[in-house]
This record gives sequence, structure tokens and C-alpha cells, in this order.
Amino acid sequence: MTEHAPAGSELPDGAETCLSFTVSGPWGHFRRIEGNIVKQTYRVIPRTTVAGLIAAMLGIERDGYYDLFAPGESLVAIEPTSELRTMKLPMNTLSTADEHMASLNPRGKLSIKLPDPSKPRQQHNYEVLVDPAYRIDVWLDNDERYDQLRSLLESGESYYVPSLGLSEYLATVDYHGEFPIEQGPDGDTVAIDSTVPEAVDSIVPDPETRYQIEQTPAFMERDDGGRTTSAFVSYAYNPDGGSLTFTDVATYSVDDRTVVFT
Amino acid sequence: MLDPNEFYDEYPPERLEDELPERPISSLRGIQHLYGRLYTLATAGGGDYAAYLTPDQANDLIGAEESLIVVRVDLSGDRPALDADEPVKITQYADDLIQKVAHCKYNAARGIDHSVTHRSGRNSDPEKLARYACERLTKWATDDVVQDVADEHPDGEVIRGLATVGEEESNLDRIRSAVKAELGGSTTALLTVQVRREASVDYEWPGDVPVFNEAMRARKLSKLVSKGQATNSAGQATDLISGERTRTVGTAEDPLNYFLGKQMEKFPGLDPDEAWRSHPISEDGAVTLMNAEEFVDACSYRTFNADVYYLPYFLGRPTPAEAYNLYAALHSVTQADDMGPVQTLYDELGDHEANSEGRLRFYVAAVMKHQMSRFDVYGETLNGRIHYPTEVGERHEQITGSWVFDENDDRNRNRTPPMPSHEEWSLTTYQDFREMIGSGAYLYRTFPFTDEDTDATVDDERIDVHVSILAGDPVPRTQLVSAYVERLLDRDGDDVPELLIASQFAQLCALENADLVTTDAGDTESTLIDGPDYDTMEPEHARTDGGTAALDRTEKLESFIEQTDGLDDPERKGAFLLGTLVGQVGTYQQGYHDRSTTVIDQYPIKSMTKTKVKRITQEVIDKDVVYSREMAKKGSNINSTMYKEVTNAIVETMAGNDPSGWEISTDDLRFYYALGLTYGMNDRSTNKDDATTDDETTDESPDTNE
Repeated sequence: MTEHAPAGSELPDGAETCLSFTVSGPWGHFRRIEGNIVKQTYRVIPRTTVAGLIAAMLGIERDGYYDLFAPGESLVAIEPTSELRTMKLPMNTLSTADEHMASLNPRGKLSIKLPDPSKPRQQHNYEVLVDPAYRIDVWLDNDERYDQLRSLLESGESYYVPSLGLSEYLATVDYHGEFPIEQGPDGDTVAIDSTVPEAVDSIVPDPETRYQIEQTPAFMERDDGGRTTSAFVSYAYNPDGGSLTFTDVATYSVDDRTVVFT
Repeated sequence: MLDPNEFYDEYPPERLEDELPERPISSLRGIQHLYGRLYTLATAGGGDYAAYLTPDQANDLIGAEESLIVVRVDLSGDRPALDADEPVKITQYADDLIQKVAHCKYNAARGIDHSVTHRSGRNSDPEKLARYACERLTKWATDDVVQDVADEHPDGEVIRGLATVGEEESNLDRIRSAVKAELGGSTTALLTVQVRREASVDYEWPGDVPVFNEAMRARKLSKLVSKGQATNSAGQATDLISGERTRTVGTAEDPLNYFLGKQMEKFPGLDPDEAWRSHPISEDGAVTLMNAEEFVDACSYRTFNADVYYLPYFLGRPTPAEAYNLYAALHSVTQADDMGPVQTLYDELGDHEANSEGRLRFYVAAVMKHQMSRFDVYGETLNGRIHYPTEVGERHEQITGSWVFDENDDRNRNRTPPMPSHEEWSLTTYQDFREMIGSGAYLYRTFPFTDEDTDATVDDERIDVHVSILAGDPVPRTQLVSAYVERLLDRDGDDVPELLIASQFAQLCALENADLVTTDAGDTESTLIDGPDYDTMEPEHARTDGGTAALDRTEKLESFIEQTDGLDDPERKGAFLLGTLVGQVGTYQQGYHDRSTTVIDQYPIKSMTKTKVKRITQEVIDKDVVYSREMAKKGSNINSTMYKEVTNAIVETMAGNDPSGWEISTDDLRFYYALGLTYGMNDRSTNKDDATTDDETTDESPDTNE
């Protein structure tokens, strides 16, 4: 259990404020790790994807940002703000196996590999999210990066183009501002707006409210050969985009919303 | 496999508690892992090697004649040798030998099983069995993976001894002739070995000699890291099931086969050897997953040309009590031959739905297998619940049991109900719909058929909606109506499929009443989706004094429109009324004029469009007026328009809302027009009520004879 992120535990030192923004777009696809042959999507944007999205805004290269978003170094709360609806989208795809990739400008300084466009396509169903939107609250221990992110959000700029899972699913980023992280409401039960990690057994069921759960990658790390997921987290969420009620979960309050950070 | 009572005795709550996962079930892999664990406990039992064994693969051989062939090797002398007196023993495989032979099956065309114990093909001849017997020494004992274990293990001598015996052709000849001499003919058998390590002790079975199990385990694990293009996919990572950091493997088999194999992709850089990075599972976890296969397969069925998996589980960390319930349900699905898995699971788990506070869920996936490597998942959810199909079923029964469908309802007295019903059209009658909804048959009856030969990746809406219903996800109303209309237009011939339309209407009402229908905010369609409530009748309409027949008809129409909330929308109501008039005038034409072509044929559903509504309405009203005059001439005591209640309502509805300005979609228009046709055609009181005369058509229309 040690590999898993603690739920609603003490805040790290220095975590007094967070930046709050909403990412949304017409489409999203966050490939579920169980599927290679099949192309299913998570309903809630995984924490690792949020990290990648923010790293893209900050202009950090692949595999270069895992420490920035490590446990204790960062806080992320994710709140689905739309109804999480999916549909199947047939897409024509080309082989991306190594032997089928052709290099453009192979000897130049900048070289890029592409699938061979002259090959026949194969059609597959991708499960995609329709009009997904998530409100993200983020704190980074690295002050320099935190300040850089704030000024990028304020000016509406980004180094790489933000997208929701696949590069063609462009994302819109709406900045809400910087807010203090305050203690959440007290009480036996509390309604929480964000997704709640590792708390499925603390949900207070209500016949009128649907709740669901999914396990997604939360933290990553680098090794010699590439990257691995260092911790997975199970999130409880309301698929209809509202709050859920829990017992015994420590919460925080951001902009008058009740959230749990991971 | 243990039956549920034996399972409870073998694993009382305190013991079972230790075997259950610590982490809450929140993914498909978590469900499969739990299934694999329960299956292992129920078959191979506990123990370090249990998850690796496949005792069920030889269940059919228990008690069969000549079903166990044992090569006996004596390692107690100076040199390993075959037993001098009985080199091969042929006997009956029995319950008490299951643990001892420690069989681990490997599905490969020309391969040998992972364990030294090997299962022959069905009805192998003695020649073949003799070869398999020799291969225990020549092939299994010399296998690279097995040899590696022998090198490391303190008892490696045992395996090397087998190999040594197998090197001598004379030994193999002895085995071959012994097998052939003793066997009566072809048979299906397990082939294994026994070894004697010391002169003073008896021969031992492989299950009792740890090095055999160790080698079997190593062989099975070797397949988890090499498959297809992957040669060694393993590395240190976090196990996605237990969350522990451990050695993980990348090419573990998955009973649903979602992961193995590569097909064309949107994601670059997926390297088979690095598969453990994106899908890390510990070795024990991977083997346990594979053991889920029997339960997973038992919980699947075919519908809509796809394989549907319907896997029950309890959300969160399973308690022993929940695990017993789950095991009992899974066990009975594997035993039920004559019932589908949905019915069996509902019967087993139905009671737990109520007190599990929504924790009892189903993983549902419809998988289309085009080829070995081309899978498409058409619909999937982790959140199926018995609650939703039960709810829809109850709502459907309310609709078909109401006066709108039920001829025997008091409110209908001697007139026909608004909608037709027939026992062969189950969606129009009053019965238990839950299982039909769970299995998908519910939509099969109302949705368009898809042609499986055309582009196979096109979405099958039935699956989409089926999975939505099971998961309680609302379905857009436009999707339902357009599917219904597509099915109506798919038909050959121009006759109106009244019972199909009635079935669709009942289904739409049931789904609406179960809160499973939604409208798009930006839709130009009316957002009225409150389902009807046919149980109550407005007191002012509840007449007891009889009244005239015509008034009865008016009252029926008004009640139906008033109680069908979808008809509050004036455009839908207009389409419905037009359909009603066409249905009634057409039925009249058929009855009184013996016309082979009636207005019903003249204005079929597929020809109905917004631009035509006005013209068709005028034409049909004109016809109605002509027939009314005709009736009056013939001496009918009716001196006003026939079907006055309909024409009046049409005039009222269209006067303030000219059809040329309608915004209703063509699908919606056609659906309500079709509903009207059905209503009108089902009004069999027409002739009798309007034409109580002695006209000359009485002979052809006995109904008019009063």
C-alpha cells in the first residue's frame, strides 16, 4: 500500500495557494492501460495526464517532468465539470510499429519519424469523451515553475499546444485565478466536488446520485530504459458532474469548492 | 471445482479474508484477479503453486479406464534407471491423484504442457501415447527452462536423472513396448512420471517433489515475458493490481485479450519488449489473471453479433460475505447449461442488489472479434447494475399492463385500447422483462438490424444503447427515435407494422419513465421527455353512464393524448393526429369499399415529410368529408363528419401552428405519424359506432350489423 498516494493527508510545507483552471475540449481520449488491441478511454483525466498537460504548457520535454509532479512536490485536485459522456469514433490508423515508421530528414539535425502514408489504413473504434471539461487545482513546490505557470495562465499562453490525450483533441484552458488552500468543511459527512482518491468504501450512497470508480496512473518515474508508473490511484467520481458525499475524508477548500488533492 | 457449501467449509471467513485482495476492486484487472483467485481456491486450493496448476483441465479423465500413464524412474541406484519390474504403470486417474500429478496445461499446437505431467490429445493411439511417455524424459526434462531450474535447485539431480534415462535408446524402447503392450487401444490420458529417490522409500509423485513444481512454474512464467515479437518483456515496476513494487511482466495472457497483440495505432513507440512498462503485472498476478478464464467465459454470451461479457463484482474491497455470494453466482453460471448467464446471475444475485447499496456491479463489454488481432469494444462499462434493467422492466410492465395496451382493463369496457397487443409480440404484453433487457433481446425487437457484412467498425447502436441501459446512462431521445424509424423503414412492403410500432412506443415510454432518456440542450426538438402515467385516469373522463359510442372515442383519444406527455408538443400531436385520421379512414375504406389501395398505402411512413404534411392533411380530410356525405345519403343517422373528434383536433392543433413552419425532425414526425396510424388502425369500434344503419354494405362488414 505504500506505493499508493495517501488520501487527504497533511499538506506539504509551503502549500498555501494553488492555481485553478479548467481544461475542456470537444473531444478527449485517455487510453486505458488494459487496452492495446481495444481503445477505451478513462472517464476522468488521469493525474499523469494532467502533469503532462501542464509540462507541455511549461515547455518541458517528455520524461523531463516526473520529479516536478512527484508526491510531496506537487498537489493536484481534479473535478469533472461536465457530464462524462463517451461515444465510439471509428478512426483510420496506420501502423506505428518501428519497422513501419519512415524517417523524414534522417540525417539532419531535426529528424522525425512518421508512419508510411502510402500504406492502407485500418479502421478501429476509439472510445472518445464528448465535450469533457475538468477543473484542475495545482500546487508545485518548485517556486520557479509555479510562478512560470501562473504567468502563462494569466497571459493565456503555452509552449506546446495543450490537448486532451491525443494531439488532435485540442484543449481550451480557462484560468480562474490563484486561491488559498484552506481547511475543508468539518462534519461526519462532507460533499466533495473533486474526484476522491482511494475512498470507495467511504462513499455515502444516495439512490439519486450515481457514483463510479476508476483506477488510473497517478505518478511516474524515469529509469534507464524509459518511464514507469510508480503509483496507481482509484478515484471515485460522479459521472453526471456533481458532488459526492463521503465520511471520514480530509478535505480542503479552494474557491469555495471542496476538494481532495492527490 | 468446489460447490459453494464446500467452498465455505474449506475457506471459513477468517481464512478467506486473508485470500481476498487488500485493494478495492476498481478496474477490469482487479475483477479478473479476484475471479482468478476464487477459481484457484476452488480448484487447486491454496499453496504456493496453486495458481499455476490447472486441475480442471483433466476433470473428464477422473475415473476413466487407462487414464493415467506413469513412467517410473529409479534414482536410488548408482545410475538412474527405469524401474526393473514395472517401467510403466497404467492406471485410473482419480480424485486423490489431482494434487499428486500437479498438472499445468499449456495451450500450444505442438508444445508440451508446462508440468512434467502432460495431457494427451483426445483418443490418442498407443503409438502416440508411447511417444508422449518418452517425451517426459526426452523433451520436458531437457527443456532449457527446466534445465536452468535443475542447475539452481538442490534437487536438480532428479531432473537430470530423468534426462539421463531418456538418453539411452534401449530405455525408450522399453517404455514404448510397455505402453503398447499394456494399453487396450486408443485412450485419452495424463502422462507423468514417478521417481524413487532412495531404495528404502516408495516411488514419489511429481506433486510431492518440489523441483518438479519449481520447473513447472518457471516454464509457465517464461511465457509471460516472451510472446510474438516480445522476447523478454519484464522489469521492475509497480504492479497495477497490488500496487507493490516488484518484477513485472508484459505479455501476460488476459482472458479478454484486450492487451496482447499489436494493431495499427494512434500512439507511436509502443515496443513489445517494453510492454511491462505500460501494463505492469507481477508474475503471480499475471498467472492469477489467466485463471479467471473459466469464470469470464461462463459469464459471456452472444448477442448483436458480438461477445458480451457480463461480470459481476462488488465495488470496493470485497468482504468475505460478498465473496461467498460472488463465488456462488460464478459457480452456478459455470454449472448452468440451460440458462443464459444473465438469468442465472440475476437469480443468484438479485437479492443482494437491494442490500448492497449499489456495490453490486457488473463489468459489461461487447467485444467484436473481427480477426485474431482485430478486436473492437463496442460498448463497455464497469457500472452495470441489476437495478437499471429491473427498473426499466417494471416501467414497461406498467405501460403494457395499463389501459393503453390491455384490452381487459376496465376502462376500455367494450372498445379497443389505443394500442394493439399480441402474445407473440412480447413487448406489447404484460410480463417479466428484466432478463430480456439484461440479455439485449429487448432492443433486438425494436432496433434496426445492422448488416455485419458491411463495414464492421460502424457502431452498432443496439450495443451502445444496451450498455447504456445496463449502466444507467441516459440515452439521447433523438438516437432512440431515429433508430425506431430506421427499423420501420427497413421493412419490405408497405403494410404498417402496428405491433412493432406499439412495441417501440412501449419501450420509449418505459425508458423515459425509468429516467434513461435525455435531450440535447441545443436540440430544436421538444424537450418533453416525461414519460406517460397511464395508471390514473382523469376523473372527469371516467364515465360510468355509457354515453354514445362517438363520445367514447373522443374520450379515449383525449385521454390518450393528455396522458402521453410526449404529445404535449403541438407538432408531434399534429403528426399523431394525422396518422390517426389516415389509419381510421384507411380502415373504413377497407371495410366499406373493399379498396385494395387505401390512404394508408397512399401515405406510407417513409413518404411523410414536413413539406407534405399540410397537403396530405387536406387530402385526407377531404376524403373523410366525401365518405361522410356518402354515408348520409345511404341513410346513416349521422349527419356530421366521420371521425369528428380527430378532424376537430387536427384543425385545432394546426390552426395556430401551420405545418409549413414546423421544426420537428423528420424522424420525430414519422415516429408520431406511425404511432397515429397504429392508433387509428386499432380503433375497431369505428364502423359500428359511426354507421349504425341498415346500409347495403352490412354483408361485407359484419361489424356494422346492429
